[in-house]
Amino acid sequence: MSKNNVFLRGEGRSPWYRLDGSKFDCYLVGVAGGSASGKTSVAVRIIENLNVPWVVLLSMDSFYNVLSPEKKIDAQNNNFNFDHPDAFDFNLLLDTLKNLKEGKRVEVPIYDFVTHSRLPQKNTLYGANVVIFEGILALYDQRIIDLMDLKVFVDTDSDIRLIRRLKRDISERGRDLNGVIQQYENFVKPAFDQYIQPTVKNADVIVPRGLDNLVAIDLITKHIQRQLHERQFNFRWDLVKIDCNGKEIPENVIVLDQTPQLKGIHTIIRDRNTQRDDFIFYSERLAAIVVERALSELMFIEHEIITPLDIPYLGKKCIEQICGVSILRAGSTMETGLRRVVKDTLIGKILIQSHPKTGEPSLHFINLPNNICECYVLLMDAQIATGAAALMAIRVLLDHDVPEAKIIFLTFLATPLGLHVISKAFPKVKICTSMIDPKINDETLFIEPGMGNFGDRYYGTS
Amino acid sequence: MKPELPPNVVCLPRTNQLEALLTIIRDKDTNRGDFIFYSNRIIRLLVEEGLNHLPVVEKTVTTPTNTEFEGVSFKGKICGVSIMRAGESMEQGLRDCCRSVRIGKILIQRDEETALPKLYYSKLPPDIDDRYVLLLDPMLATGGSAIKAIEVLLAHEVKEDKILFLNLVASPEGIEAVTKKYSQLKIVTASIDKGLNDKKYIIPGLGDFGDRYFTLP
Repeated sequence: MSKNNVFLRGEGRSPWYRLDGSKFDCYLVGVAGGSASGKTSVAVRIIENLNVPWVVLLSMDSFYNVLSPEKKIDAQNNNFNFDHPDAFDFNLLLDTLKNLKEGKRVEVPIYDFVTHSRLPQKNTLYGANVVIFEGILALYDQRIIDLMDLKVFVDTDSDIRLIRRLKRDISERGRDLNGVIQQYENFVKPAFDQYIQPTVKNADVIVPRGLDNLVAIDLITKHIQRQLHERQFNFRWDLVKIDCNGKEIPENVIVLDQTPQLKGIHTIIRDRNTQRDDFIFYSERLAAIVVERALSELMFIEHEIITPLDIPYLGKKCIEQICGVSILRAGSTMETGLRRVVKDTLIGKILIQSHPKTGEPSLHFINLPNNICECYVLLMDAQIATGAAALMAIRVLLDHDVPEAKIIFLTFLATPLGLHVISKAFPKVKICTSMIDPKINDETLFIEPGMGNFGDRYYGTS
Repeated sequence: MKPELPPNVVCLPRTNQLEALLTIIRDKDTNRGDFIFYSNRIIRLLVEEGLNHLPVVEKTVTTPTNTEFEGVSFKGKICGVSIMRAGESMEQGLRDCCRSVRIGKILIQRDEETALPKLYYSKLPPDIDDRYVLLLDPMLATGGSAIKAIEVLLAHEVKEDKILFLNLVASPEGIEAVTKKYSQLKIVTASIDKGLNDKKYIIPGLGDFGDRYFTLP
């Protein structure tokens, strides 16, 4: 734990998108090989050696087809061929991998080997920089192979695979010797020869001896690391150099009317001698004003009602479900203001912190409502300086299928630079700010005159 | 429907948002919980707008980044005065913006014999003559009780141009009655409705605000 009481577990995810908002695809590695060849062990070892965060291991076992009642009985009698391509749902697999590759949030089914059906719950995967996909037929379907950046075939001697399989099925899974041998002879071996072995020609790398082949695993790891390094990029400091002098404030930006009260509240919040008590009171008052203004941008439809005097009245009604998303920590200071006006609002959280060494934003934690793609999202942060954290948060929302036009960014204070950066990358996102300050200090990255570290002043942690 | 407003009358900008809020509180099927919640939201908007008509003076402060910010500070003392009972519903909205604001009360009832508004009770801050007064009453119908309340304030030597009268729904008749008599004070309202019916209720209106806020089941 560092001196200033900040504790952060692990590394965050560095930007996975370019300055214009477009994304790098995630790096997809396919690992194929016969049953008990050591695919999973090789994949896990690659992940350990890579030693980077945000790597996901995906198993083809999750994509078995749901079995019909008759086939279930076959399966119980060792009479179903789990090694045949027909046993897998390749279309679902393709969709899942495609979405993962594009960096979208995906739901991976959980296959129950007892009932041979999918469990009602699913695993949610989001934010992978590297996906390692392993399975006996990982290199079988050309559509899937085309998605892969690196294709590995683990080629372990068939005697060894049989021995492992016997051990595993008998001692770990409590099966009887004859049953295992019967299944091996009837299904596993023919399927390997007919469907799995031939996919070796689709591989970029063949790893003989599986996990024992340290050299091969080391080479694969180094290759992936080099590829990832080329994709990494830093831009917060470059952002500061962008010149937007004399440029008009973008059209998608709403600046509150600069009323006397607004200026008065700002004066109190900005004053370094303001007590915390006043700071909190006036920032919550300001949040309420910003939220009310932003809500006027939502979709409304005409709505007729009857007044208590029995007179019809044609009014309006908001038809959006509203979800607030705060960029932690400072963004959550606006939640009180939002809850005050939308009492049942959904609230999501995104923790983005500056990397202590590079100053780049990095993503540490996300928790969003499942139906966020159907909501109008009020994304909240106290300030927009370079816009780097805002870009990341917006990218996260888009990856969760929130339409760009259904995002409005709420903030107390923004710089022309930050506003230009955001609207250049995401022109349909609206930004509602209570004031605009001219510049950013290019050493501290603080807005000037600004309001200092908003989170520290609000929460009393400085 | 949009007659020229006297210069001392301010109506909140009719945004979709405000229109939707008004629709909810006008709806006779809105339950009391929602009626209170959404009235409070409009009241807060009214108070914020009302406060904008108070004077400020320039003030420069130093921010935590050690740079100067040219801002303003609020000038002059204020107090709220609610016309009982309905006006008291607006006190919380005022307190939400001005924490420890002083609040005076005026009780005005209709005299059964003369049918004219009659003062029953008032209790005001002692130095009210030195303050800006935010007069609170959600409905401005005929203007009878508002005029009576303003008379009380003026009798306590409040300056007319330091009175801000805040209300949610006003009738053109009420506005005319008040502004004809008092051209210096300011009226801030969220909506100007069509007019009054023969029972002197605002139409389309929202019914009896006090009852819906305080006592209706």
